[in-house]
Amino acid sequence: MLADYNLPQWSGMEALEVLLHEEPSVPLILVTGVLGEETAVECIKEGATDYVLKSSLARLPVAIRRALQEKQVREQRELAEELFRRAVESSPSGILMVDETGKICLSNAVAETMFGYKCDELAGQSIEMLVPDRFRRLHREHRAAYHNAPIQHGLGKGRDLFAVRKDGGEFPVEIGLNPVHTSAGTQTMIVAVDITARKQAEREAEEYTRELQRSNAELEQFAYVASHDLQEPLRMVASYTELLAERYRGKLDDKADKYIGYAVDGAHRMQRLIQDLLAYARVSSQARPLQPTDSGAVLASVVTQLRQTIEKNNAKIVWQHLPVVHADEMQLGQVFQNLIGNACKFHSEQPPRIEIRATPAGDMWQLSVADNGIGIARESSARIFQMFQRLHTREEYEGTGIGLAIAKRIVERHGGQIWFDSVPGAGTTFYFTMPKCGGGIA
Amino acid sequence: MTESFRILLVEDNPADADLTREILQSGPRAIELTVAATGTEAVDYMHKRGRFASAPTPDLVLLDLNLPGIDGRGVLTEIKHHPELRRVPVSILTSSLSEKDVAQSYDLGANCYVVKPLDFKGFQAIVWELENFWFSIVKLPRGEE
Repeated sequence: MLADYNLPQWSGMEALEVLLHEEPSVPLILVTGVLGEETAVECIKEGATDYVLKSSLARLPVAIRRALQEKQVREQRELAEELFRRAVESSPSGILMVDETGKICLSNAVAETMFGYKCDELAGQSIEMLVPDRFRRLHREHRAAYHNAPIQHGLGKGRDLFAVRKDGGEFPVEIGLNPVHTSAGTQTMIVAVDITARKQAEREAEEYTRELQRSNAELEQFAYVASHDLQEPLRMVASYTELLAERYRGKLDDKADKYIGYAVDGAHRMQRLIQDLLAYARVSSQARPLQPTDSGAVLASVVTQLRQTIEKNNAKIVWQHLPVVHADEMQLGQVFQNLIGNACKFHSEQPPRIEIRATPAGDMWQLSVADNGIGIARESSARIFQMFQRLHTREEYEGTGIGLAIAKRIVERHGGQIWFDSVPGAGTTFYFTMPKCGGGIA
Repeated sequence: MTESFRILLVEDNPADADLTREILQSGPRAIELTVAATGTEAVDYMHKRGRFASAPTPDLVLLDLNLPGIDGRGVLTEIKHHPELRRVPVSILTSSLSEKDVAQSYDLGANCYVVKPLDFKGFQAIVWELENFWFSIVKLPRGEE
């Protein structure tokens, strides 16, 4: 706005007053014929942007341009301040600005609520007020050190920090520090997050994990002791029923022979179950450390061990170069043995052809054992890795149903996974992953 | 003339002891079997103490490891530290698969270590094997010292 100093009804000063009230962002330049320097200074003091004498009107465009530039700069600054204020106010974290002497010069509502103060109670106070008594001296020292070398600082990394509320209550916090250089010196923006809930959740998770580990260990111990101690009396039951069968077969009546047969069979089955249970428990009780293991060599020795089964079923086992994996050699052998044993057992009318392959999968090797056997129906997939789950009658196929449960437990102990694909009638492929060796040996 | 062999079986479980007796009786040789149910009894028997004053020294000791009181390791130590008894072969017959038990037994002078099979047929086969080994294949110290 351009205004003359002297107007018929009112003066330029009155216009200035109205403008400052209604539209303070619009710059006003007084254009006047006679104006003493004193009056001019007075006008500027009152809020006029500039003044131009009518005798030097050539200066007017320059004055206008400067006034508009100043307006733009001012508006940008105001916008930035507004954005900053809103960001601070709407932040979910507590935010405090602290000057070089440790005095709080700004705080947002979250910080005030977090520390239990009203909105005007924090400004001007020392930041140490929010630090528990016992840490105050140390905090002052740290602050001095920080002041000498201010750097951006992550949220409480690696250290448990505590803050104190107005009512004296302490709570764990994470703190981020950001140096902000202003004309009034270096200030520090403090971002504070109350992590009480997170710490509580962490504690609960740790507690839960410990409890789970303890009960797992106990359960394993129980399974081991139970199965081990059950073996002895069961050996007696089995041995004496067998002895009876041997000594008295044909000497009692037919029913007696049959019933003794049932007892012998039951005792044998229970012995096998207990041995399988022990084998399952041994996956962790007799675990050896994982080390670089040539899976091809392990497979070759398993094939040698299974020679009778392989020959009996006329099976053909093929594999190409297999990798070195990070494994417990005995247990890897057991996985191969169980999978190949199954592939031989559940063969179709054709002689079994079993192929073992390996493909890299991230930091693991994915091994597969593919057969051309009877296959597995999709609806059985959930049960197949469970302990003592059998998909067939004992008359069709022998076994207790522990093999895949053991394989799964071993693979999981190695941090891997086991699963299968199958087309009933055409064959099954079991996949499992084993870790690669850390040193890049593969 | 049928040669007769003497076995001392140290076994606290009477069912196990009877089973061994049954198997030995149905075997090809005449065996005189004595059962000691505790380690103390076994040691007294070997030393011919008290009621065992007139007991003959056995040709073979079948020794269980886990016994109440003096256990199998104690009995083994006692036999293998005695200048006259040490020549009597001792076969450990146990259900323990522990490598520690195996090593310790041989260290203490056991002549062999046999794990009892879980099934009757297996156990029978092993008892007969032991009988055959110690009384047919092996030349045992007899008579003169």
